[in-house]
Amino acid sequence: MDKQQSEFIRYLDERIADCNERAKSLREEGRADEGIFENIRTNVYEIFKTVLSAAEKTCGAGNSAKWDFFLQKTEQIPENWRISYEKAKEHGDIKKMHIESIKLETVQEIREMIMKS
Amino acid sequence: MTEADAIRLFKCLADKSRLQILKSLSVEDMYVERLAKRLGLSAPTVCFHLKKLSDAGAVTSYKNQYYMMYSLKKEVFQTSILEIVQQESDEAQLQIQRDEEYRQKVLDAFFEYGKLKAIPAQLKKERIVLEHIARAFECGRMYSEKEVNLILSDFYDDFCTIRRDMVQEGILGRSSVGYWKMGDGV
Repeated sequence: MDKQQSEFIRYLDERIADCNERAKSLREEGRADEGIFENIRTNVYEIFKTVLSAAEKTCGAGNSAKWDFFLQKTEQIPENWRISYEKAKEHGDIKKMHIESIKLETVQEIREMIMKS
Repeated sequence: MTEADAIRLFKCLADKSRLQILKSLSVEDMYVERLAKRLGLSAPTVCFHLKKLSDAGAVTSYKNQYYMMYSLKKEVFQTSILEIVQQESDEAQLQIQRDEEYRQKVLDAFFEYGKLKAIPAQLKKERIVLEHIARAFECGRMYSEKEVNLILSDFYDDFCTIRRDMVQEGILGRSSVGYWKMGDGV
């Protein structure tokens, strides 16, 4: 595992811990729905943590192919979320729209983090 | 307000953010961005909560120039909780059906070919059994003790106990003249 990968995993783990902490305090505060939204963010971070480990297995550690594979997945995976968002928008399903936009926002944040590093 | 409406409303109100939104709207009508700023929430999150509140019938919206304004549906909050609790349950019919199924289960367990096998130990079950036996009595008619015994003996050999329990349970009335099925105004 190269330095960039270990730093990225640390970043994901921190974000997961933050989201879990926030979800817990939101639930305790009586804001259960917003707690669920934080859990959705956690799920997205978890998904891309798994994708990174799959990228390493597929492309091997320490080469740029791994990161290309990963970035490609950050485009492919949210495609269904975008479709789902558009469908929800078409039907005025505010809840679904919000959930899909949280997922898309989170994956965008992950992409920006990769680009920066 | 129906029972389903009340459940939806109570579920919806059990959230701090939504309560904060309602508190703000009780001051004056507001649009999403203003509520978001006031409550420190993102605009999509406020939209989400407003949709839930609107589905629960707690808020309503109207267009004002460029803005969609949200306002509190005051009449909903003027309904007292007691009024909601006292309303007839949507489940009333279902409850009657469940009661009837239970009665039938008890009767099936304690009767065999129309004869009572044993007097139930549980008062609730005995009451069901006695009410069933009471169907053998005509409404508005006076019976002598002999007639009562004869009818009851068709159901159970210890008809004296049955007769006494029916009187005790208020199913049969008794006077010096005779016996009658209660609730008949005889």
